[in-house]
Amino acid sequence: MKKLIAGTGDAISRVEGPLKVTGMAKYASEFPVENKVYGQGINSTIARGRITAIDTAEALRQPGVLEVITYQNAEQLGGYDEEMPAIATDTPMPALQGPEVHYYGEYVGLVVAETLEQAQYACRLVKVDYAAEEPNVGFEGARDSAYKPSERSDYSRGDLAAGLAEADEQLDLTYITPIEHHHPMELHAVIATYENGKIDAYASQQMVENSVKTLAKTFQIPESDIRVRAPFVGGGFGSKLNTERHVIMAIMAAKMIGRPVQVTVTRTQMFTNTGLRQRNEQRMRLGAKKDGTLTALGHDTLSHTSTYEQYQEQCGTVSKMLYATPNNQITHRLMPLNLQTPFAMRAPGEATGSFALESALDELAWKLQLDPIDLRIKNDTQVDPSNGKPFSSRPFVECLRIGAEQFGWADRPLRPGSRREGNWLVGYGVSGASRASPYQESSARVELSLDGGEVYAKVQTGATDIGTGTYTILAQTAAEYLGIPVERITVELGDTKFPDSPGSGGSWGAASFSNGVRVACQNLLDELRQRAGKEGQDVSVETLLLDNELATFAAEGTASRSEEAQDYSIYSFGANFAEVWVDKDTGMYRIKRMLNVGAAGKILNPKTAYGQIIGGLTMGAGMVIAEQTKVEPNFGNFITRSFADYHVPVNLDLAEIDVIFLPEEDKIANAMGIKGIGELGITSVAASIANALFNATGKRFRELPVTPERVLTTEVEAGVLQSR
Amino acid sequence: MRPFTYRYPRDQREALTAAAAEAGAKYLGGGTNLLDLMKEDVERPTMLIEVADLPHQQVTRNADGGFTIGAMLSNSATANYPEIRTNYPLLSMTMLAAATAQIRNMATNGGNLLQRTRCPYFYETSMPCNKRAPGSGCGALNGMNDNHAVFGWSEACVATYPGDMAVALTALGASVTVQGLDGTARTLPISDFYRLPGDEPERDNTLQPGELITALTLPAPAFPAHYYYLKIRERSSYAYALVSVAAGLQLDNGTISQVGLAMGGVAHKPWRLTEAEAFLTGKAPSEENFAEAGVIAMREARPLEHNEYKLPMGEKAVARALVQAYARN
Ligand SMILES: Cc1cc2nc3c(=O)[nH]c(=O)nc-3n(C[C@H](O)[C@H](O)[C@H](O)COP(=O)(O)OP(=O)(O)OC[C@H]3O[C@@H](n4cnc5c(N)ncnc54)[C@H](O)[C@@H]3O)c2cc1C
Ligand code: SF4
Repeated sequence: MKKLIAGTGDAISRVEGPLKVTGMAKYASEFPVENKVYGQGINSTIARGRITAIDTAEALRQPGVLEVITYQNAEQLGGYDEEMPAIATDTPMPALQGPEVHYYGEYVGLVVAETLEQAQYACRLVKVDYAAEEPNVGFEGARDSAYKPSERSDYSRGDLAAGLAEADEQLDLTYITPIEHHHPMELHAVIATYENGKIDAYASQQMVENSVKTLAKTFQIPESDIRVRAPFVGGGFGSKLNTERHVIMAIMAAKMIGRPVQVTVTRTQMFTNTGLRQRNEQRMRLGAKKDGTLTALGHDTLSHTSTYEQYQEQCGTVSKMLYATPNNQITHRLMPLNLQTPFAMRAPGEATGSFALESALDELAWKLQLDPIDLRIKNDTQVDPSNGKPFSSRPFVECLRIGAEQFGWADRPLRPGSRREGNWLVGYGVSGASRASPYQESSARVELSLDGGEVYAKVQTGATDIGTGTYTILAQTAAEYLGIPVERITVELGDTKFPDSPGSGGSWGAASFSNGVRVACQNLLDELRQRAGKEGQDVSVETLLLDNELATFAAEGTASRSEEAQDYSIYSFGANFAEVWVDKDTGMYRIKRMLNVGAAGKILNPKTAYGQIIGGLTMGAGMVIAEQTKVEPNFGNFITRSFADYHVPVNLDLAEIDVIFLPEEDKIANAMGIKGIGELGITSVAASIANALFNATGKRFRELPVTPERVLTTEVEAGVLQSR
Repeated sequence: MRPFTYRYPRDQREALTAAAAEAGAKYLGGGTNLLDLMKEDVERPTMLIEVADLPHQQVTRNADGGFTIGAMLSNSATANYPEIRTNYPLLSMTMLAAATAQIRNMATNGGNLLQRTRCPYFYETSMPCNKRAPGSGCGALNGMNDNHAVFGWSEACVATYPGDMAVALTALGASVTVQGLDGTARTLPISDFYRLPGDEPERDNTLQPGELITALTLPAPAFPAHYYYLKIRERSSYAYALVSVAAGLQLDNGTISQVGLAMGGVAHKPWRLTEAEAFLTGKAPSEENFAEAGVIAMREARPLEHNEYKLPMGEKAVARALVQAYARN
């Protein structure tokens, strides 16, 4: 009898789901490490200046308090090898190394105590005096300091000015996105043990291997002396890609005290100490012929980094490659401000860049009186104009067409402000999306065991599951390639003791990890067949184990991107549709419907993939509705400091959501035909909603978020005839 | 959080006595505001006296046809109480627009009245704030004041009262009963319960030290048919109002015989729109009159640097709330 296998492509429920809902899945701060104590970071209360004095006496007198670490007694750590280093996921992260304060909320100390409450209370008693200087936290006044961060910052082909000159219609507009924060549900956390010169850390990290690299450089010990574990991660959105300073402080404290130290970052500290998406000003210059042919596309981004490290979000990425235009110019500039260093947040570059690009295209379509879908189709290309390589697959036009059909695009109000439903103005919007499908070499180990006549398998890899469904898709992959039911497969993740894997980020996870597991399974079967003298035969693993008289057997495998892939541009594509209802008077609006159509290679599990897309749509809707971190202009602190002030969407804000995956297997991308979806889902969502708001009201919203205040105070565009 | 002692009094007298004995004592209702502020180090009580379980949990009908609601009853229980829903649907609707179901389940009516401003400078202990640290200055006056007051503010404080329930109570003309340390009770109209900041912004209201809120009293049922609470906010739930309006209308032979109109999010206290009420009384319930009421409502508004939008928003919100109240049946 053929067993039910549930391979890739099946919409099974999460294999780790029961562990999560019963509380058995352990997140970083939940491990019952013996003898552990608690650390609590102290944050600076100025945005720029120097510490002049620290008085820890009263804090140290409190019961349970073991140590207060500041720059005065912190160990010297390995530092950057250059000024203003461009930070990556494996760079050193020195903490508490000097008296300088670079931004409001920077760590200036760590209190360690027997209990969390003792540590938190003692933090209030540490007196820190500062010589404060006036901080630079706004764009105005800092524009002169803008610089070109790297050679990768600029790109051009053709001649932008010439392209604009030959256009029948052009526009030059600036779009602004605010500072946003990642805010995964699970707080950043670590429990660090330091014994015999070795570090063992449970840490909520997206990339455990790179965490080891950061720790090795920071503490200047060999990588082999470091173990990082993150079996479950409660979301990251990029904020857990690099190893933040609470991890460094916890290890430092564990060394000093000789006991394991837990540091859990508070929600307020998640604003100041775990990265952010920076504010972007994006100037878009578009030129087109009457028929919509793009003659020029310029995209200049101005944003900020900290005064001590550099991070640049590539907002121009999509503008280089999504549409065929001969004249294209992309620039990125940064201003050092007294704010923490930004870092990659879900679809860095695409989420923000596509807001500017896809809004500008909508404006151009309006000027040309073209259907915005036709304008996009007109400029479709099967060759990546930024490098001349063919796309491995690009059903972008299909995404738009199928979406239009499904959404009822033909029924849209043709003139802005023309459709009323009671007190509501109704509008439809569309946007196109693309997101690179990167791939990283990934390894896995598969071990079979025969028990009571049944074969069980254990899969191990250093990959992480940040809530996306990695456990499930890897179990499905192993089930398919080993030919045993998914229920008999155990997946173990997020441990640097397991075979190397890049971890979760950049939407490379599903493709990279699954192929790694596939190769491990194939290697295992090949070896067993060879031993049994059954090369090339289709025999069950059970038979192979029995033939070889083995009760257990293991093999490893590594999958890299193919040679062929080098000759192609590999992207996922999509289209977003939105319908909004805007109150005609009060500034309130509702998103009524959202539709996302995606072409993202083989969908390993429609259920978990759907979760990714609705998460992306929600985050995209959040960009429009309310998400923004506000900086106090005089003091430089964030005045949004909890979920009461930093508004993410609630269920009631969200529409009827539809998701369509186009059937696709991109075998050029990789042998299993998988592409990334996690970041595709957020890309250009904001533009589809902003475009719908224009269609409803005749008002253009070029700055996010679109708060009731902005709806109320924005003027109707010149040239839009109101029909109220 | 700073260390504190915790008391669980068996009755009201024990609660009052405990409060009288300790200057730093605070009553604890549902804790949804107080505990947050303690974690932020804004409130630093040396003693918490739990009052949520004291027996002020009833809703009773008074001789004049009005109702008295216990101060320790939860917001959820109050909003969903059958006789409140039928007699004061404006109050129910308003309360259900506040916070989240979880918070409303915990929150008591007494604690709700006393919830403190959401001014971000008030919350951040390193910032100047006269309300939190008298004399330190008002950070918002020349800072981020987009969600601050447009009525009744002073140079010392431009904060708003953030709550919803009290806005409906103001439109309904409710009063608050408080029990003093000496055992005497006093009842005061809600408009006298709250105060404007003046030069003492540290005082949100006229409650005296140690006084315990025991009840809310509503006059004879008003606006059972024509009522609306309009709350303009950045998301559909779990957000405070930018501007809100509680509107109740009584109609007699096609004219407006009684009006209750109050605004939230615009002043240090729920802002009763007496002039707009007077304008509408005796008039026809027309869109034009409602629009005019909106204009009258905002006539005296004095915006700050960043909250001028509240003027058009307030105008439109008043008009819309009235339209909705009228249309409702
Ligand atoms: C995230 C969030 C969102 C919210 N959104 C809204 C909203 O949209 N609209 C809204 O209206 N509210 C909102 N709230 C506030 C919420 O309504 C209040 O926190 C709640 O009503 C307070 O009631 P409590 O019983 O928990 O008060 P507590 O926190 O227990 O007490 C508050 C204050 O009242 C004092 N106190 C309590 N009971 C008495 C008494 N009987 N006599 C004298 N003093 C007393 C306490 O000492 C304390 O100073 C929100 C709160 C949160 C946390
Ligand atoms: S408005 Fe009032 S609460 Fe806000 S900073 Fe000024 S004094 Fe403090």
